[in-house]
Amino acid sequence: MLQAIGLTKTYGTQTALHPLDLEVKPGEIFCLLGANGAGKTTTINLFLNFIEPSGGRALINGRDVAEYPLETKKEIAYIPEQVSLYRNLTGMENLEYFATLANGRELGRAKLMEYLREVDLPAGAEDRKVSGYSKGMRQKIVIAMAMAKQAKALLLDEPTSGLDPKASNEFSRLIGRLAGQGTAVLMATHDLFRAKEDGSRVGIMRQGKLRQVLNTDEFGHADLERIYLEHMHD
Amino acid sequence: MIGYIAHKEMREMRRDGRFQVAAGIVMTLLVVSVAIGWEQYVTVSRQHEQARAETREQWLTQGKKNPHSAAHYGVYAFKPKSPLSLVDRGADPYTGVAVWLEAHKQNEFKYKPARDANTLARFGDLTASSVMQLLIPLLIILMSFSAFAGEKEQGTLRLLLSMGVAREKLAIGKALGIAGGLGTLLVPAAVMGSAALMLGSEEGAFSANLPRLAWMTASYLLYFAAFIGLSLTVSAMARTGRLALVCLLGFWIFNGLAAPRLMSDVSRTIYRTPSSFAFAREMESELKKEQSEEALKRKVMAQYKVEKMEDLPVNFQGIALQASEEHGNEVYDRLYGQLWDTFEAQNRLQQQGAVVAPLLAMRSVSMGLSGTDFAQFRDFSVAAEQYRRQLIEVLNDDITKAGKQEGPHLGDERLWAKAPPFVYEAPGVGRVLSQQCWSLSLLAVWATSGAALAGWAATRRLRAE
Repeated sequence: MLQAIGLTKTYGTQTALHPLDLEVKPGEIFCLLGANGAGKTTTINLFLNFIEPSGGRALINGRDVAEYPLETKKEIAYIPEQVSLYRNLTGMENLEYFATLANGRELGRAKLMEYLREVDLPAGAEDRKVSGYSKGMRQKIVIAMAMAKQAKALLLDEPTSGLDPKASNEFSRLIGRLAGQGTAVLMATHDLFRAKEDGSRVGIMRQGKLRQVLNTDEFGHADLERIYLEHMHD
Repeated sequence: MIGYIAHKEMREMRRDGRFQVAAGIVMTLLVVSVAIGWEQYVTVSRQHEQARAETREQWLTQGKKNPHSAAHYGVYAFKPKSPLSLVDRGADPYTGVAVWLEAHKQNEFKYKPARDANTLARFGDLTASSVMQLLIPLLIILMSFSAFAGEKEQGTLRLLLSMGVAREKLAIGKALGIAGGLGTLLVPAAVMGSAALMLGSEEGAFSANLPRLAWMTASYLLYFAAFIGLSLTVSAMARTGRLALVCLLGFWIFNGLAAPRLMSDVSRTIYRTPSSFAFAREMESELKKEQSEEALKRKVMAQYKVEKMEDLPVNFQGIALQASEEHGNEVYDRLYGQLWDTFEAQNRLQQQGAVVAPLLAMRSVSMGLSGTDFAQFRDFSVAAEQYRRQLIEVLNDDITKAGKQEGPHLGDERLWAKAPPFVYEAPGVGRVLSQQCWSLSLLAVWATSGAALAGWAATRRLRAE
């Protein structure tokens, strides 16, 4: 579903992403682990076509994002680190707006309420302005957007940073449910625990290079921490 | 899709307290300015109508007197107030609205409201045109500076662009949202203004002015569209909302405050006009250069083939008065013509400044369509002067044809009635549009450039990184 073929990004003489080859299949959760500046967000920005690649290709469902910027975006949903919504609109109005833009048609309040129930947004919160929402609640709105969009792939950029453990756990449960329905998930994160718990595979990045890819069922939490730190101290 | 984006923009705007306060202030000023304009229009029109009737009555009932005394008794001509002057008073407060028509002299206009104004008037009058030319663009800037820059800062832009929305649709939707928000203010104000025009105008005047009103509306829409386009362009290119606001306010100050003063000074420097003292002195000197009475007598005697003045079949005094008038007319045509040509050259140069400041084009079009610009003042002045000349010629002709009489020659009501009342018809909308062709074209260029730039900035310069 998500495929990087020799994907590269340079800024002048500085290489933000060395040639990256990666594939995330439907139903798989691939976690990109790494410190700040490792190239995780650059990879996500390239899949979103927010930046142009210096080389290689980013494919979504077989189509190059640079050639089909609008069509490929219809297949994905994106959850940024700082989930920002329109503060003067309610949760439902935000969901309605983004879902309509994504689908090209209005889905109706009843259908959208179903999605909000699925993400467990507290009852009554949908009609309150999002300026009063916590980050966890805002994230639930964005996950409901992904559901309403029926996205085939999810791109997550540090989604659990700033979430309390309960909210983080709820988030993981929702992402797991989407993956279970066949959605391919690419998640950039610092959170080793979540990567091991939620991910099918983990890729460790450092200085723009994907150093190692691991299957999460082949090692424990302590092993992952050790391997990760080894790469960081190379 | 575009409509949905516009709808969401309007919804957000309505809930934004800053917009509510700014829109409330602008709306109040617009309503007050239209009300003031309407009150002035109705009052002044009524006073003019009354004065017109009284001055005609006085002329007809001035009693028996020498026609030349009647020529000095004179009449007043009043520049009819255009109904649209309630929107834009233009140059009227400075040029004056009434002129006294008498023998020998092309008088200056009287009753210039600017002369009666106190020092506070230096800050400018509150008129619907000043609100629309200065404050509505400011409101547009406040409504749109954060259209893209705010989304970048808040982080909603990344989410928005990840939805697969075409950027040009986003730009059009945002522009329509701002236009819609503006419409919630302007449409009620326009309806109120039209109602005031309809109620305040004389019978038929409202429908006669509808083409001017339609063109004025279209011109202001182009002006506002230019500001919406520019604001969206800057908002898409600026990294932060604050930077976008500073850039746009800088342009607003240049457009509304700096450019008009700069172009006024430049035009006066390039096309210099004489001081009123120097002009009056030159006029006096030129008027003195009329041919001598002896030469005129010889010419008249030759014309009537007589040897002595006593043998003339006509009254020489009438011929001499008319000859003096004609000399004066030639001097007035030349000197006032030169002066007014210079004023028009200054105006043309100021209009050319609209290449960098659209206000200069909008101001010119607004005054032109309101009938309060210099060109229409000149048109009225020429018509009033033509009337003065015809009036004096009728009186001098009467003196001439009276021949030699025992005792003084007196005119009566029959003679006074020979001079028809002064009726002035303002230039049609076609003539105004041809005079304003440059400014209208520039407004169209500003609006289309603004739209094209906004589209370009949204598709090429809007970064979600």
